Amino acid sequence: MKGPIKKILVYIDGSEASISAAMYAIAFAKTSGASLSALYVVNTRALNDLVKARIFLQTEEDEYHHDLEKDAERYLNHVKKLGEEKNIEIELLSLSGTVHREIKDEIKRGDFDLLVIGGISQIRSRRDEFFNETDRTLRSVTCPVLVVKDDDKVWDIFESL
Amino acid sequence: MGFLELLDKKLIKVPLKSGSKNMLLEELIDLLNSEGCLVDRELALQDVLKREVLGSTGLERGIAIPHAKTTSVDRMVMCIGIAPGGIDFEALDGNPSSLFFMILAPPDQAGPHIEVLSDIARVTKSNAMCRLLTNAADADEVMELFEED
Repeated sequence: MKGPIKKILVYIDGSEASISAAMYAIAFAKTSGASLSALYVVNTRALNDLVKARIFLQTEEDEYHHDLEKDAERYLNHVKKLGEEKNIEIELLSLSGTVHREIKDEIKRGDFDLLVIGGISQIRSRRDEFFNETDRTLRSVTCPVLVVKDDDKVWDIFESL
Repeated sequence: MGFLELLDKKLIKVPLKSGSKNMLLEELIDLLNSEGCLVDRELALQDVLKREVLGSTGLERGIAIPHAKTTSVDRMVMCIGIAPGGIDFEALDGNPSSLFFMILAPPDQAGPHIEVLSDIARVTKSNAMCRLLTNAADADEVMELFEED
C-alpha cells in the first residue's frame, strides 16, 4: 500500500519525546507504506558557541563532541531496532551543525513529505532565547510537521502493530 | 530538557552570603544538597573544583557558570545564586562576579547539558537582563524575569 505520503523523516535527539515520535513514525510508515528515515544532529553550533562564550574549554568541546557522536549512534541504533521489531526498514542519518538548519536542509535534500517530531516545549516564557531546537525546527521547516504527544497512547499504538 | 524545565524557585538564592570563590561554590553545592538534588555532596564539590582548576568559569560582565559532568547527580540539576556586591571569582575580565548559574549533569546527559548552557549563554547576552537579575530582591523576582509575564 502506498499513500500520498511517500517519505517520512523523524527527528531524534535522545529525549523520550523523540523516541515516542520514532515509534509513532514507525506506525505511520507501516500503515501508509511510506519510507522512513531517522535523523540525529550533533549540535556543533551550540558547542562552538559555548567555546566562543568561553563557557567551555577546548578540551570540553572535544569531550562533549565525542559524547554527542556516541549518543547519535546509540539512539539511532535504538530506533533501528524498534523498526526491525515491526519489520520497518529505517534509513539512519547523522549530521552535525545547527540543528534546525540541518533538519530543514535534509528535508529539501531528501524531498521528504512529512517531518515527525516529539513534543515541543511548554510556553513558560516569552523570551525567545528559550526556544529549543525542536521549537525552532517546527517554525522553520517548509514541509508538513506532525507533533507527537501522549507517550502512553503512542506506546499502545506501537504495541498493537 | 532546557533551562526553564530546570528552573526552580527553591534552587535560587538571593543574596549569596559567601565572600570567597571556594566558599561560594560550597554554598551553591549546599543549596542543591538541601533540596535533595545530589547523590554525593563531596563528589559534586570535588568535580566542580576540578573543573575550576582547568580554568575559571567566571566569564565577563559579572556572570559565572560553574559546571561539571559528574556522577554525583542522577539527573541534570541547576541552581542560581546572586551576590549583588560581587565576589572575586577569578573571572576572565578580572571583575567581580555577581550572577552564578551552577549546572551539574550526569555523564550520559551531554545533549541536555549543552542545551541548558546554551540557553544561559543566550539569555545572559543581554546587559539589561543581567542588570535586572543582579538587582533582583529575591527568588520570586528572578523567576518573574525568566518566566512568562
